[in-house]
Amino acid sequence: MADDFTSPVDIEASADGLPGLGQLAVALGLALILLGLFNAHALAAWADGLTPGPRTAPVAAAAHDLADRLAARGLDTPRAVLHDAGEQAKAARWPGQADQR
Amino acid sequence: MLFPTLDFGLFFLPVLILVWTLGQASNEWRKIILVLASWIFYGAWDWRFVALLIASAAINWLLALAIQRRLAADAGVQPWLALGVIANLAILGFFKYFGFFLEELAPILVAAGFGRDLPVLDVVLPVGISFFTFQGMSYLIDIARGKTAPASFLDLVLLMSFFPHLVAGPIVRASHLVPQFQAVPRLSRAMVAGGLILILWGLFKKTVIASELATRLVDPAFFDPAAQTGPDLVAAAYGYAVQIYCDFSAYSDMAVGLAALLGYRFPRNFDQPYRAASLQDFWRRWHISLSSWLRDYLYISLGGNRGGLFFICRNLFLTMILGGLWHGAKWTFLIWGALHGGVLAIERLWRDLRPAGLPRLPTPLAVLLIFHIVVVGWIFFRADDLAGALAYLAELAAFRPGVALAGPLMCGLIGLGMAIHFTPPGLFAGLTRRVAAWPAPLLGVAVAAAVLIIDALRFEGVAAFIYYQF
Repeated sequence: MADDFTSPVDIEASADGLPGLGQLAVALGLALILLGLFNAHALAAWADGLTPGPRTAPVAAAAHDLADRLAARGLDTPRAVLHDAGEQAKAARWPGQADQR
Repeated sequence: MLFPTLDFGLFFLPVLILVWTLGQASNEWRKIILVLASWIFYGAWDWRFVALLIASAAINWLLALAIQRRLAADAGVQPWLALGVIANLAILGFFKYFGFFLEELAPILVAAGFGRDLPVLDVVLPVGISFFTFQGMSYLIDIARGKTAPASFLDLVLLMSFFPHLVAGPIVRASHLVPQFQAVPRLSRAMVAGGLILILWGLFKKTVIASELATRLVDPAFFDPAAQTGPDLVAAAYGYAVQIYCDFSAYSDMAVGLAALLGYRFPRNFDQPYRAASLQDFWRRWHISLSSWLRDYLYISLGGNRGGLFFICRNLFLTMILGGLWHGAKWTFLIWGALHGGVLAIERLWRDLRPAGLPRLPTPLAVLLIFHIVVVGWIFFRADDLAGALAYLAELAAFRPGVALAGPLMCGLIGLGMAIHFTPPGLFAGLTRRVAAWPAPLLGVAVAAAVLIIDALRFEGVAAFIYYQF
């Protein structure tokens, strides 16, 4: 290897607990479940972007059905609160600021 | 297929699972899975260019064998090396510069009566061509210099096709990556933690900072500078400096993070560039894999630091001009390169000829000065053409009062993008060590929370990365 090669991930860290692969599998698996529950909106938005057709229609319907059912149980609330806060930040104006041309 | 999309997530997850399950059976299978995945990734843009990628790898592989045979026979390698460099430059030149030269030559040819014979050829630019052709060239030069051994065909195809770096770098050299391909990769907890942090941080920089600045501030200002006020144009110039950093470094961070999750180490490509106190320092911190490539394969080939001050300055200037043209065949890139080359030459002259006893510029002022030189360069880099860049500068000088685009959020994002540059250099390593010690469920909850926050705050839709066009 060339002498000047350094990678940002060349870091010595504790090796206690699960090995790296186990750590990755558990963390990603849990993250996907949580995102499926709390961010099903993203799945529905992705399905909307699929080319409409007989094969994609059931996918889109299932994604929207899931998002609607989870929203009915209030699981979309954290995302909605954060999204509203983001929209408020985007709408903020300086005193006397002109409208965007 | 862009990194910050669900499409990419749905592509990457099966690849990750296959690599760490089927790929565990044999290292060759792991590489075959990665090659096939990389072709699917690249083919998502245009399947035709997968053939170009394979052909480019095949040409470089054959030429490397020829060079190695000549080295073993103690014969000159120059003809084969020259052929290799020309072949790579020909691929790059045709796709990247053919249209430009035709466009520039057209008026002359038409005036000379050859107008009717001009070929009508709309050359589509393959994504990432500048990166994989440079990689091919450095591979051949390294073999000729005895710095690396020829790779197997599979290793070279994977080196040039590996999807995390394929379309926008970092430019990973054979001497760095091929030895990693030859060994069975291992995934440490630090690589998992570091990889996930880099992916999430890149996602935030790209989708929240860069995309917001682009759509609400930079794009409107550069589209019609005459319609903007002075403060908006200043903010948009600073905004583009932050946007391009957050866009490009985000891609690099995600590339390094994705490779880390697959068990491979990519080099650092950015290191807080806007805290540089000289332009030379800036180029040690910005797009490090390109600047070190230009240093090792172009600047040194031009003569480097040999031959006295005049030749050093000439070599610096030429290297940066060619570095500018690497981005594309446009006058604006040429001027951007000339500005950087000129200032680098002036810095070198000042370093060698500065009268003794003259006080040095305090570091904060030097940082401020270099940042503003870089920002002026970015105006040329961002403008659609030379007329657009000059119009932007003229409107900036006219400085009409009022603010329409640069609202609190835009100013906040510019401030955040600059603040990133002044955090302690060891912050990422410290955070990685801490996260690596977390139990896996806590890491999973943190990843989900971070993605949820980023997805809720981000701009609707994802624009392509700026460096995809290069």
